[in-house]
Amino acid sequence: MIAAAFVSDEGKLTGWCANSVISPDNLCFIAETCRSILSANRAEQRPAHTGIAAFGNRTLVFREGASGLFMAYLDSPTDDAVLEWLFDQVTPLLESEGIKLD
Amino acid sequence: MLHQALILTSNREYAQAMRQGLLKLGHAQTRIDVELDAVRAMQLAPQQYELILLDTVLDAMDGLQLLLLIKQQSPGSKFIVVSDSVDETSRAVAYQNGADFFLERPRTPEAFALAVEAIRGLFDPGRIDETPQDEEEGPVMNIMDIVRMRCLSGDSVLLLVRSQYQTGDIFIFRGEIFHAQYPGKSGESAFQDMVHWDGGVVRIKAIKLTHIPPRTIEIPYRQLLDAAGKPEVQGPNIRQKSGELFVITSEPPLDKAALSVMQEAPPRQEMTPVFFPTPNLVAAGGTPLPQLNSHWKVNLSGDLLEGSQMAEPDRCAFITSFIYRKMADVAVALELDYFNQLTLLGPHLQQVLVADNMGVRHAVFDTAWTTEELRRQYVKWCCEQSF
Repeated sequence: MIAAAFVSDEGKLTGWCANSVISPDNLCFIAETCRSILSANRAEQRPAHTGIAAFGNRTLVFREGASGLFMAYLDSPTDDAVLEWLFDQVTPLLESEGIKLD
Repeated sequence: MLHQALILTSNREYAQAMRQGLLKLGHAQTRIDVELDAVRAMQLAPQQYELILLDTVLDAMDGLQLLLLIKQQSPGSKFIVVSDSVDETSRAVAYQNGADFFLERPRTPEAFALAVEAIRGLFDPGRIDETPQDEEEGPVMNIMDIVRMRCLSGDSVLLLVRSQYQTGDIFIFRGEIFHAQYPGKSGESAFQDMVHWDGGVVRIKAIKLTHIPPRTIEIPYRQLLDAAGKPEVQGPNIRQKSGELFVITSEPPLDKAALSVMQEAPPRQEMTPVFFPTPNLVAAGGTPLPQLNSHWKVNLSGDLLEGSQMAEPDRCAFITSFIYRKMADVAVALELDYFNQLTLLGPHLQQVLVADNMGVRHAVFDTAWTTEELRRQYVKWCCEQSF
């Protein structure tokens, strides 16, 4: 994993970790962009809660919850099993901070 | 008033068009020089020019490096950097090297007119002071011009707007209007109100934006400014609420009961299928196209090239193009060269977008009937179509 972040509905970076290449500002910008994609799909009657974007061998996973958007930037391709494993790890951590993704 | 300017570019057509535009900002004796050779430009005395426009990429050298050199010789001149594509790195380097303004190269008469208006703002004595911290109040200026100029240059800035009776804020982030607010109102309607305060001429103070504001305005700034510039024309009023679009008819509601005129988009049952080519006929040989609800392809300009089972082809093309542009922004933010695939998982539908250097394919699947294997099959099918 290269970076992970949770950005609240107000656009605030609630928690994050990243290598030095990705700045917090960029993480916020990426979260806002992902949110606009999900929002546009809702407007088109095609609501989605999770996105998996592949950039060559790197993958950006994002999932929108009631209070914000979680993202993980991975240095590998993913499949459904990896996603399931990822959210099995992340969901309890977020829930311990009072954040629900589902 | 502009007296003397230099356009430094290797694009002759653009130079001529821009020269004509800049002449409109001057007087009868205004001189606009055009130089197509960067090496020859270095032999000119830049101090004679109030304004120098130069490209990020010149034939013989890097325009941003040249900017650094000329700026040292002529710190009093104003510099506008013109780029064929707006990327954050070039913009950041341009400002770091002394540019006053970063501009995407205009390509249409409308874009030229907008660009010239934005450049006029640089020479307007009432333009924004870049060090506003010492001032209690900003200068009086045309709010539309300032917003347009800031958006065109891709700035991230907070504009504090003050009219005779009210104050409000406009948040511009990376060249788009993200949010507007004043006491009692926010979002697009607040922006539309604010641009008409005091006839559009108000006091404005600009503050560098240090954080991303919550986004309440989704439509592109050009569209927003166009709408704001035509207050008398009452077209359909599109509002966004809870992520869904509603269209409100042009008659203003008389009372609360009149809100019932709000109409949601019609349901999508009446699918109009059969838009070339049909799924089961497409894949003759190679990987078969998996069972899906609909699919289509757009080129990188957003034009629909082909598709099947689409309810509203124009809207399908638009959303694909929108998502592609957004993912390209993400790629830039992650310092990656390209984006090639996006999967969106929803409770009822799943979508897969596959991009290559010719266009983007977009498929919609039923969540209940879709497996990872089917999505992979679609990606494989897309790759085979590209070849």
